[in-house]
Amino acid sequence: MTTYLLRLVAATYLFLLVAWPVSLVAVNTFDDGFASIRALFADPDIVVALRLSAYVAAVSVIVNTLFGVTISMLLVRYEFPGKRVLNALLDLPLSVSPIVVGLALVLVYGGRYGWFGPTLQGWGFDVIFSTPGIIMATAFVALPLMIREVVPVLEEVGVEQEQAAQSLGASGWQSFWRITLPSIKWGVVYGVVMTLARSLGEFGAVKVVSGNVLGQTRTATLVVEEKYLNFDQQGAYATAFLLAMVSVACIVVVAIIRPKNQH
Amino acid sequence: MSTVDTTLDRPARTPRRSAPRSTLTRSSGLALGLAMTWFSLLVLIPLAAVVVTASEGGWGAFWSTVTTPQTAAAIRLTVLTAAAVTVVNVVMGPLIAWVLVRDRFWGKSVLEILIDIPFALPTIVAGLVLLSLYGNDSPLGVNVANRRPAVFLAFLFVTLPFVVRMVQPVLEELDRDVEEAAASLGASRVTTFRRIILPSLAPAIAAGAALSFARGVSEYGSLVLLSGNLPFQTEVTSVRILSSIENDNVAGAAAVATILLVISLVVIVVLDLIQRRVAARG
Amino acid sequence: MSIEVSGLNKTFGDFVALDDVNVSLPKGQLTALLGPSGGGKSTLLRIIAGLEKADSGSVTIEGVDATDLPAQKRNVGFVFQHYAVFKHMTVAKNVAFGLEIRKRPKDEIERRVAELLELVHLSQFAHRLPSQLSGGQRQRMALARALAVEPSVLLLDEPFGALDAKVRKELRDWLRRLHDDVHVTTVFVTHDQEEALEVADEIVVVDQGRVEQVGTPDQLYDEPANDFVMSFLGDVTHLGGLTLRPHDIELDATPRLAGGVEGTIARLVRIGFEVRVTVHTVDGDEVSVVVTRAHARSLGLAEGRTVWLTPAAGAAVVPRMVLAG
Repeated sequence: MTTYLLRLVAATYLFLLVAWPVSLVAVNTFDDGFASIRALFADPDIVVALRLSAYVAAVSVIVNTLFGVTISMLLVRYEFPGKRVLNALLDLPLSVSPIVVGLALVLVYGGRYGWFGPTLQGWGFDVIFSTPGIIMATAFVALPLMIREVVPVLEEVGVEQEQAAQSLGASGWQSFWRITLPSIKWGVVYGVVMTLARSLGEFGAVKVVSGNVLGQTRTATLVVEEKYLNFDQQGAYATAFLLAMVSVACIVVVAIIRPKNQH
Repeated sequence: MSTVDTTLDRPARTPRRSAPRSTLTRSSGLALGLAMTWFSLLVLIPLAAVVVTASEGGWGAFWSTVTTPQTAAAIRLTVLTAAAVTVVNVVMGPLIAWVLVRDRFWGKSVLEILIDIPFALPTIVAGLVLLSLYGNDSPLGVNVANRRPAVFLAFLFVTLPFVVRMVQPVLEELDRDVEEAAASLGASRVTTFRRIILPSLAPAIAAGAALSFARGVSEYGSLVLLSGNLPFQTEVTSVRILSSIENDNVAGAAAVATILLVISLVVIVVLDLIQRRVAARG
Repeated sequence: MSIEVSGLNKTFGDFVALDDVNVSLPKGQLTALLGPSGGGKSTLLRIIAGLEKADSGSVTIEGVDATDLPAQKRNVGFVFQHYAVFKHMTVAKNVAFGLEIRKRPKDEIERRVAELLELVHLSQFAHRLPSQLSGGQRQRMALARALAVEPSVLLLDEPFGALDAKVRKELRDWLRRLHDDVHVTTVFVTHDQEEALEVADEIVVVDQGRVEQVGTPDQLYDEPANDFVMSFLGDVTHLGGLTLRPHDIELDATPRLAGGVEGTIARLVRIGFEVRVTVHTVDGDEVSVVVTRAHARSLGLAEGRTVWLTPAAGAAVVPRMVLAG
């Protein structure tokens, strides 16, 4: 009896909070067939925005994968002073408001009054209101995701295989490429998918640093807001649908990968 | 008698230096240096800049900025709503986790996917999604758009995964033998839950609650379309900061941002303490 | 000497794992490091392999000072208790790993892997993943993998510790035969005295970070250096001021020999062909004695009877340990 009640409560809650609203976006998008989607791709500025979002997400994934795997290895396999503080600070981007992230980056890299901004601008390098700023904002908010996936896998795998490789003559680098990386592969893939979803969807931080220039620094998420506020509901729903498709696809991919990963 | 008491013959053990604090090699040290440089440039220095900028005007200026009626109202709304949402999550999170772990029924894997959607869905899309069911054209006839419940609803949506995903793995590893042992000792289901299961889940629930509170307090994107950002009504802290930035009042923005940063830091310290306690328990 | 260890110290925090350890292991022998768990024997093995760094002291392998050499330059084969198989590689790939690292020609690698798999009886499993093998098979694969690089010494850390009793016994015999064939200097860690006595040419007894005794199995059993070694290698009991084995006590129904200690039989337990007798002596000791069933019957032993106990001629005895405090 209790079991059925709990099941009913959980399912109803998730249906009302997630399933129904999300499905309505799809319904609204296809109110008049594929017209709204087609209209989206017909607008060159939107295509630029989608391309910018994809590019930024790709760079953010690469940067965070390199950084995340490196820092995970260091955290799990080595001891060094300050490790505990670093470990805690790495979670900070998860709980910092995207608007604060944007503000923080503007304060340091802003061209007018930032700490480093004017110097960088002197070298002809714009960060804020330009693509590097969008990339940094995106990389910031997605930074902990890879680490959170890889650290537990590294701990679970243990050091014995690496030690065996070393005793067989493998250098640290060889043992990393041939032994460690293949054994944490699924953790990394999972981290990539989560980072990708988060990076594609970042809105607040990007809004602050991008300048939101149509056809230049406007990303897909900014398009959704812009269209909605300009009473182009169809366009907003269509863009939102595309973004939602990608994130749902990411989750489904992860859900498929995960069981394989368990022993 | 030389072989007799080997344990007594031993010289007193000389105290030695304890294990070295750093096990870094040259290449791993270099990697740490590079990673720290990037982390500092991307995260630490910018966040420090927020605090430094906020403190430039002195304590008085800081205090008067964050206590202007409009800002104070925004902070109050954000914190209280995040707290209320966290309470809901503390109840619903373990319940959903329980259903996902212990129950078996058709469509469970769909629920699993639903849990993660708020995490992966772009926040602006989340706002639009909620608007389509709870906005002006609500098929349910429930319209929260531009009203306070909208903030509550948006927070509820974006914080959904935290407690569930923290509790779930702990529940999976929980030894069923222990529950059976408790039952065999005469404990009722309620007693077993309260005395045996809940204490094991408590750290995970607390960690999830801390994360969901932090996420709620810092939320921005899902509110943009949903809440209308009406001062004293539905304007949250992040929106306050953004309008200060847009009005070129960077010092004001930094002051309010510092409040949010302090909340984030407190949450991180709490999480670290919980992790240590769990680790100590073994 | 193949391995020379001198003045080795190692602590983990406050815990002293090795306390001024000196050992020399001759070439081509099969040596057991025997001792209770937590006694430092695994740490010693890992320091020899370069997987752990000593706080002070030196390690020499085949005349080369290896103290500061990283593990990958020591040319040491290491076999782990939990196999440490490369889970994502086939059995053949696992065995080939060290040779590939050394950039040996492809055909040579293939030939050598085939040879080794033959040696460890895993030829038919070459293309399987380790997860498809049993524990014993995985450990044989790990052994082949370690042997592939023709190491100057082969180190095994509790190699059979994770296996069940029957497989452990088989592998133990097989390791002995393998060593007789391959003749590589081999050191293995074990806490099982039977395993050490049965397989090893020489045994190093390690306890609380110190070497208690080094010797052949016979030497250790017959002339234990102290009470610890004696009690670690088999059952012991105490008679008068001596520690000795229960089967090395003569039991008589009459005061036949001078110096016999008088006592009363408190308990008789028959296990198969032997009878375990517990005697309470007049000195207040509780002594265990093992006699054959025939002997017990001929003496007419029964609970409550008075008997006289004497150490048998040629018995291994050590003076009884004086307990601290």
